Amino acid sequence: MANKSLYTVVTFVKINTKRFFRDKLALFFTIGFPLIFLFVFGGLNSGNKDVSFKVAIVNESSSSFAKDFVKNAENGKVLNVSKDVTTLDAAKEKMAKSELDAAIVLPKEFGEVQPNAQTPSGQAKIVYTQNNQQSAQALGSILDAQFKGVNAQFVKNETPFSVVSEQLNERSLSPFDYTFAGLLGFSIIGMGIFGPVNVFPELKKMGILRRLSTTPLRVWQYFLSTMIGQAVIGLISLGVMFAVAIWVFHLQVVGNYFELAAFLVLGIITILGIGLALGGWARNERQAAPLSNIIVFPMMFLSGTFFPRFLMPEWLQNLSAFLPLTPIIDGIRLIATEGKHFIDILPQLGMIGAWIVVIYFIAFRVFRWE
Amino acid sequence: MKAMVEVKNLKKRYGDKQAVDGVSFEVKKGEIFGILGPNGAGKTTTLEMMETLRPIDEGEVYIDGINVSDDPQRIKYLIGVQPQTPAFQDKTKLSEVVEMFAAAYGEKVDVMQFLRDVELEEKANSYVETLSGGQKQRLSITTALVHGPKVFFLDEPTTGLDPQARRHLWDLIEKVRNKGISVIMTTHYMDEAEILCDRIAVMDNGKIVAIDTPKNLISQLLKRGFSKKEVVQQANLEDVFIDLTGKELRDGQ
Repeated sequence: MANKSLYTVVTFVKINTKRFFRDKLALFFTIGFPLIFLFVFGGLNSGNKDVSFKVAIVNESSSSFAKDFVKNAENGKVLNVSKDVTTLDAAKEKMAKSELDAAIVLPKEFGEVQPNAQTPSGQAKIVYTQNNQQSAQALGSILDAQFKGVNAQFVKNETPFSVVSEQLNERSLSPFDYTFAGLLGFSIIGMGIFGPVNVFPELKKMGILRRLSTTPLRVWQYFLSTMIGQAVIGLISLGVMFAVAIWVFHLQVVGNYFELAAFLVLGIITILGIGLALGGWARNERQAAPLSNIIVFPMMFLSGTFFPRFLMPEWLQNLSAFLPLTPIIDGIRLIATEGKHFIDILPQLGMIGAWIVVIYFIAFRVFRWE
Repeated sequence: MKAMVEVKNLKKRYGDKQAVDGVSFEVKKGEIFGILGPNGAGKTTTLEMMETLRPIDEGEVYIDGINVSDDPQRIKYLIGVQPQTPAFQDKTKLSEVVEMFAAAYGEKVDVMQFLRDVELEEKANSYVETLSGGQKQRLSITTALVHGPKVFFLDEPTTGLDPQARRHLWDLIEKVRNKGISVIMTTHYMDEAEILCDRIAVMDNGKIVAIDTPKNLISQLLKRGFSKKEVVQQANLEDVFIDLTGKELRDGQ
């Protein structure tokens, strides 16, 4: 009897998985669509690793020192010099539109040797708007440091106190690590919730589920076959995302791949339960769509799918910690990029376990064959 | 001989409407039993209660001696159900559809044999969405028989089919009956009922108003002094149609 039940489940999984790979549209939405998001959000986050300031240099001086300064700035990495802006008025206009962070003004006498001195001197001026105070301050320090170097060449003096910085080799989390875990969460939602919510009402409308209900097929067999199929397809889809993230966006996976896969399956099954409950309950699309939107969109944003939770106010963080997607996204990040093991993420596992019980209890209770 | 299906004083109420109002009948082994009646007479509801799809308000249904309300799961192994409009998930091959339905009963069957039974073996590797209406009906019939049921329910099986496909389906239904399976079907076509059914129940307003063989029902009407205004012709328009277009199925190509 147990063997027969299992044969039923295995056959359903086998045929439904084959069906999935024949369906180009389903393939696109499960594998291609999340990849598009990955490229968009990944591109946004990995592009601005080197801090650079967009500045204009207004050189009113004709000294060779000033010319060298402009040349060095243009070739250096720290400043992104906008060459077509040469007057202060033009720079002001661009700054007002936030196209420039600041303007560096070199006055007429900059770099000239004053009559009573042997070395050239001058004072550069940084012009900035209210919105760019931070950039201007940073830019001030950078120029200050550069001028100190120049000064040291002209005037020998002792520097009893100085500061050197040392870079640690240890890796800290990059914004991309957070973005990527969130995107995986988004992908899991897409498959687990939007899949069943779209498919089930259609199957009910066509009477396909009703026909199945005249056979001895049990709801648990139907659910189990859907869960296994979704886990297989989900692992493929998420695996492709990991591959792209590693090759294109240099994601460093430090965790154990088996633990990661097991955890992803757990996450997929948890979220799929929500889809099974919604799609299984709804008699038609009109019932399914609004309810799923009410549940999905708040969860998506509050659980840190598109921006990390640590950016939220504390009370909201405390609240969103209890959503089912939150421990999944956190757990993926902890295992994949922080190298944690199951034993380290027991709080997340416990929360997921509790949600699985609650979600599937509801899903079994509300399921309707028609 | 004990009846395969016994229906006793079956009732179902939807709100104000008594959809089924004390229906009783028996169906013998290997009998084709037709339920006729205008739309809303309660035919489909009666079938659905017998098929375990609707809870029974009052009365009992026994199939092979088992009470449907007591053990619906066991009943499901005894019955095959052909819905009004058969539908299958797309991107599924015919062979896979049969395999899946057999698996729903925990069984592994000779898929090709079941497709051959309904003359669909050359379509085994096609997707279900390429089938015509008649082919879908035939596929549906074979999926309802994969587990060797004792009772076969068909709800308006020939609605929307062309005359060729209709006749073909009649042959199929007779083949099923010849295997000793009891067939219970609803239909709106009187010629179909007359040719196919061993006995007929005519339902109206949730009640059975007459139950007998088609022959007896007709002769009873004639005894009451009924006569048609027009002279009955030896052929009708459908005979002309079949004569002109042949009996061969058109959806096979």
